[in-house]
Amino acid sequence: MARTAVDADRLRRALVPIVGERRLSQRESDLASYGRDMWPRALIGIRSGQLPPDRPHVVVWPESEREVAAIVRVAREMAVPIVPYGGGSGVCGGAVPILGGITVDLKRMNELSSVDRDEMTCDVEAGMNGERFERELNRRGYTLGHFPSSIYCSTVGGWLACRAAGQMSTKYGKIEDRVAGLTVVTGRGDVIHTDGPVRAQRGPNWTQLVVGSEGTLGIITSARLRLSPTPELRVLRGFEVESVAHGVEAIRRVMQRGLRPAVVRLYDEIDTFISHAPLFGSKRTAGRGDEGPVTTDGLRLAPVPGPAQGALPHIPPREQGVPSDHGGGPGAIARLIGTLGGGDTARRLGARLKRDAIAAAMSRPRLLNSLAAPLAERVSRRGCRMIIGLEGSRIRTGVEARLVFDELERAGAVDQGEEPGREWFEHRYAVSYKMSPAFRAGLFVDTMEVAATWERLMDLYHAVKQAIAQHAVVMAHFSHAYSEGCSIYFTFTARAEPVAAAQRAYDSIWRDALAAASRAGGTISHHHGIGLLKGPAMAAEHREAMTLLRGLKASLDPDGILNPGKLGLPASLGAGRAADGDEAAAR
Amino acid sequence: MSAVVAGLGGDLGGALEAIVGPLNVRRPPSALARRFAVDGASPGGEIAYLVQPGSPSEVAEILTLAGRVGAAIVPVGSGTRATAPSPHAAALAGRPRLFVDSRRMCHVLHLDETSLVVHVQAGLTALALERIVAPRGLSLGDFPPQVLGSTIGGLLSVRTPGKSSPRHGFIEEAVLGVSAVLADGRTVHTRVAPRRASGPDLARALCGSEGTLGFLTAAVLRLHRRPEARFLAAHALPSFDDALAAVRLALREEAAPAALRVYDAAEAHAHLGADVFPTGNDEQAVIVVATAGPTDLAACDRDLVASAAAAMGGTELDERLAELWWKRRTGQERGTALPAPALQVTASPKRQSAVYRAVRVACAGLGVGLRAHASRFEADGAVLFFTLVGPSGAALVGDELVRARGMAEAAASAAGAVLLGTENEELELYTRELRERLDPAGILNPGL
Amino acid sequence: MSEVFASAGVARQLDNCTYCPKMCRFSCPVSETSGREQYTPQAKMDRLNQMRRGHLPWNEKTTDPLYACTGCRQCTTNCVHGNEPGLVLLAGRAAANARGAGHPALAGYPERFRSREQRLLELLRDHVAPERFDDSAQVGFWPGCDAIDKGLDDVDAALRLFDQAGATEVKVVASGQACAGYPLLAAGLIDMFRWQATRVAAALKPYRTVVINCSACVYTLRAQYPAEGVALSSEILSLAEFLARLEKRRTDAPDEACALRSVYYHDPCYLARYAGVTEEPRRVLSRLFEVRELAGSRSETECCGGAGLLPKTMPEVADGMARARLRQVAARGGGTVVTSCATCAFMLKRNAPSGVVVQDLATMLAGEIPRSGPG
Repeated sequence: MARTAVDADRLRRALVPIVGERRLSQRESDLASYGRDMWPRALIGIRSGQLPPDRPHVVVWPESEREVAAIVRVAREMAVPIVPYGGGSGVCGGAVPILGGITVDLKRMNELSSVDRDEMTCDVEAGMNGERFERELNRRGYTLGHFPSSIYCSTVGGWLACRAAGQMSTKYGKIEDRVAGLTVVTGRGDVIHTDGPVRAQRGPNWTQLVVGSEGTLGIITSARLRLSPTPELRVLRGFEVESVAHGVEAIRRVMQRGLRPAVVRLYDEIDTFISHAPLFGSKRTAGRGDEGPVTTDGLRLAPVPGPAQGALPHIPPREQGVPSDHGGGPGAIARLIGTLGGGDTARRLGARLKRDAIAAAMSRPRLLNSLAAPLAERVSRRGCRMIIGLEGSRIRTGVEARLVFDELERAGAVDQGEEPGREWFEHRYAVSYKMSPAFRAGLFVDTMEVAATWERLMDLYHAVKQAIAQHAVVMAHFSHAYSEGCSIYFTFTARAEPVAAAQRAYDSIWRDALAAASRAGGTISHHHGIGLLKGPAMAAEHREAMTLLRGLKASLDPDGILNPGKLGLPASLGAGRAADGDEAAAR
Repeated sequence: MSAVVAGLGGDLGGALEAIVGPLNVRRPPSALARRFAVDGASPGGEIAYLVQPGSPSEVAEILTLAGRVGAAIVPVGSGTRATAPSPHAAALAGRPRLFVDSRRMCHVLHLDETSLVVHVQAGLTALALERIVAPRGLSLGDFPPQVLGSTIGGLLSVRTPGKSSPRHGFIEEAVLGVSAVLADGRTVHTRVAPRRASGPDLARALCGSEGTLGFLTAAVLRLHRRPEARFLAAHALPSFDDALAAVRLALREEAAPAALRVYDAAEAHAHLGADVFPTGNDEQAVIVVATAGPTDLAACDRDLVASAAAAMGGTELDERLAELWWKRRTGQERGTALPAPALQVTASPKRQSAVYRAVRVACAGLGVGLRAHASRFEADGAVLFFTLVGPSGAALVGDELVRARGMAEAAASAAGAVLLGTENEELELYTRELRERLDPAGILNPGL
Repeated sequence: MSEVFASAGVARQLDNCTYCPKMCRFSCPVSETSGREQYTPQAKMDRLNQMRRGHLPWNEKTTDPLYACTGCRQCTTNCVHGNEPGLVLLAGRAAANARGAGHPALAGYPERFRSREQRLLELLRDHVAPERFDDSAQVGFWPGCDAIDKGLDDVDAALRLFDQAGATEVKVVASGQACAGYPLLAAGLIDMFRWQATRVAAALKPYRTVVINCSACVYTLRAQYPAEGVALSSEILSLAEFLARLEKRRTDAPDEACALRSVYYHDPCYLARYAGVTEEPRRVLSRLFEVRELAGSRSETECCGGAGLLPKTMPEVADGMARARLRQVAARGGGTVVTSCATCAFMLKRNAPSGVVVQDLATMLAGEIPRSGPG
């Protein structure tokens, strides 16, 4: 992608009066760290030493919406692209500055400015970190009820830009259901408020037109979000069902009775098997190094190195090529299952697999998928696991929990008690830590989240699973349930080497899986967003309705300076003015 | 018929007949024509047709035709909306108008009983849809029956408050997808999914756009199973403020009633009878509530509201009062016809009491009597309905009404209420640009 | 033997961080305060990893992120992999130094360190009465460099507390060093640290117990000295631990009649997260005060910005961290914040907003006892 021709010095001179010297940087080390987000495709390259090529021309850290507006006006005048940046935890390349330009890091706008007890809302700036935000609300007796597994590393603005979902979304809703209003800097450099009791206002609901726009229509600088009281009661339970289809049916019955558990998770056979054996042992800390005493509150103290080790860890020298134990090799699948699954069962399984068979399987994931399914079934026997949780006010939650559990049992689910639920809760963010061990082991991992109405859900499940299984090992769970349907979360993994082949495989997986999702009548994204990754599939997702999106783009960002190339919009400046129907200009 | 048409518009009428058939093109009823008459001009001097397309492709052809001849498209639904002259009529001056009535597009296209989702054409009224799905034990949800007389297209095109319930939210949130014809004749169908993260919710661009961005032809809506149980209850509270506080308390405890209403003393007397309160006190208020759902949960919600009312000093009233309210609400019993409220405003939870007090003070200053109730509670607030009455107890009319309403509106607005039809001025430019982009010839509901 | 210190273990940590979606981001006070992406623990570790792998050169520009860390260890607390960025980055600084790619603000640090040592020793000798120095005592009190530099009153207060408790066995350490050498580690001067450690060890040898009012020194003496093969025969205690021990000797009941004033306690990272000292200071404080908790206390404490030489390399960020730490106290209408580390006390005092008073633990306690004392 061609970088925009920008006079970097002129750009600097124009921006310094807005943010000052200290909140602007053109240092290479700063620029480099804004060149990527957590898109796994970039990680495949990084594994092999291909550092991401994209760089902004300048990074700025504004502290107010007025500064953001002034920055946008500069970008407009100078015809420079502008990319908003929050936590950089997106997995679709949404924050990659493909044309360079100005990256606006919003993390210095991180105030929770007010919590309104009567309205049950709060005003929070876009750059606030999710975990810090939630903890601050908890201290005041509230929760947002939004718990994405990226909560530690994502920002409020990022959630809104990508229509994020949290693990308790079945009760609290996705982020778009929690937002009452936004403050947005548009591509024209104006500040607009899509705020207040909008119901009385005429015209479309602009809040919902900006939420999910991934920085292509405006820069969200703050939001008014709806709060709930911190739960007085939380009930978590494990259930076992005979098969995925039985589980899906049980969830549908619960949801359509008007019941709203907070957590609904149904793991397919492989996911059940792998999730059964906890990733890092049974306790959260157990997977860490065994060094260091443990204090009373469970904190592991700093390691006390022995005399032979030296005060500071010794940084190993540069690796010569890829070390043998990092490659695919015969042990790869054992390690794959080990890293994803861990625990004794996984090791037993690993041991039972003949090494040659594994080596062959890794290069032929279809075989491995067919191999893994029956194995997983044999190991877990009991079918698929479900985690069901409710939380909220003491009285109502208690009543609702009884109704939910009864309904599940009537649908054939077998109660496994509280332990599986408690275990899930303790490890609920663990999925985000799984990436590292897999990449270290020479694999790449990615996830895909789709959704459909119940009628199409199993078709969607089989279609996408089959599409991915051509290239990678795949498993899935169902979560985020609604009265009319549910989302499916696929996790897939394959070899990350050699890098060119891995990236080809990666691209094929996504091309095939997205096409399969569209054909089966599902949406291509439930909560990760589009970014660069799914841009090419936007035409199939929205068809003629892309006209509406392009209309919004022309209205809010007539010069096309905001995050070009994302959401399937053209990867060039002036896109807003481009004639309708020129999708060809998109990547 | 065709002679009349030919007399009015020559080729245009013929072209319309060619699209929808001669029986579905006629001269607009005079009431409609008057609403859109330009000041001073006598209705009938303009070229105008009422067209009733039977399918989206006919709509597409009509729009294409309108674009070609520079005609204005004015969607009309079941005609439940105001009959007052349109303030936007001037924009239609000198242009042929096509009043497009969607009521022939009144079919249920697909009822998915697995997902509880219905794909329905925009010309069907919500009430008719309710009648179709009721035998299957389904319903659109606990929406106020008064709003269900509109066509689906009309319901979704105009985002007025009140199309909501505490249990099922705002009707717009029940929309999983819409189909519409754009000004250039292209048909768009937004992707149907429970939730998406594939860009903004494009269906929301069409909902609330009052027919200016596209002509709604169909929608995919969420349905609910009819509740297993329903409970009704009524409570007397020491004051309107206490009643609102009790409602907040109950909602905070996560009660999700199907419907909830708070009357002030005067309104309670007018609606529920003179002997509502066991003891006389003009400051008292009444909460009536209906809860629904699985039996235990509906009972739980009823009890949560009851204990919240008790906590605010309330006493339980005879259940028959609630039944009376419910029967009237659902049209099972007519009761004495009451005049439509003079003023409706929305207010967020924090502002509701202040708005009520401000309007009371304003009316007292004018020597005008006031009755009020609050209803349609949802996450962002509720709707307050005010009826202004004269010394005789009869609702104000004419200039008196206009004057008093103006004062009451100003007072409510100053206290933080949002008046119906308010526009967000910051967004005007963006709305205009969006329309410009989608409808460069300005054929869709111009003037709005 | 500790796995994390093995080379392969460190490589694994670096790789874990490179591929991680920055899960510990929220816990890093440096990146939160600066807002800079390259100062998240993940980005700092990834930077070091890319330099290790030879994908990036070592120079002043590329090594800058290695210095954006106070070693507060909050990221480790929130890392499922148990990575130790605080320690690995210190090693990275040593590697940078060895390649002549250290931080420009630390140029000439060895000389500055040496002359500061000299100055502080003289200051201490001038300030403390000669009879207080005695290397035949059982317990040696070694104030720590920041205490001598910026908190001599706090040193006096500690001595008064010892006197009041009748702990006559405590004498001030008469050594040729003012600092255990943590700043040298933080500057990546590993050889100089070894040299310092050897000399400190010799000076501390006579004492059965050494009491220190510097949290980083406590950790350095307890953990880093043995790692360098420098054996210490003395027991190393933080002042807070020692005061708690003295407290146990007391027989009189707390004065119930006196109205309890409430104070906040700020946990120094190196005490709370490295040494596990969280209850002792609260115990001694609670005899005289009602101890209130800050949001983020004990093992969740937030760094004051004083460690890791951050005040030298990124002074604005360091001060910003201290301000952020105290903001919640100001928001609750002000109050007194007590801490038990000379460095923390200095950083917090310097950045305290109006209405917030910061006190060293010893001074806070000594303020409540009669000035006359036993002698």
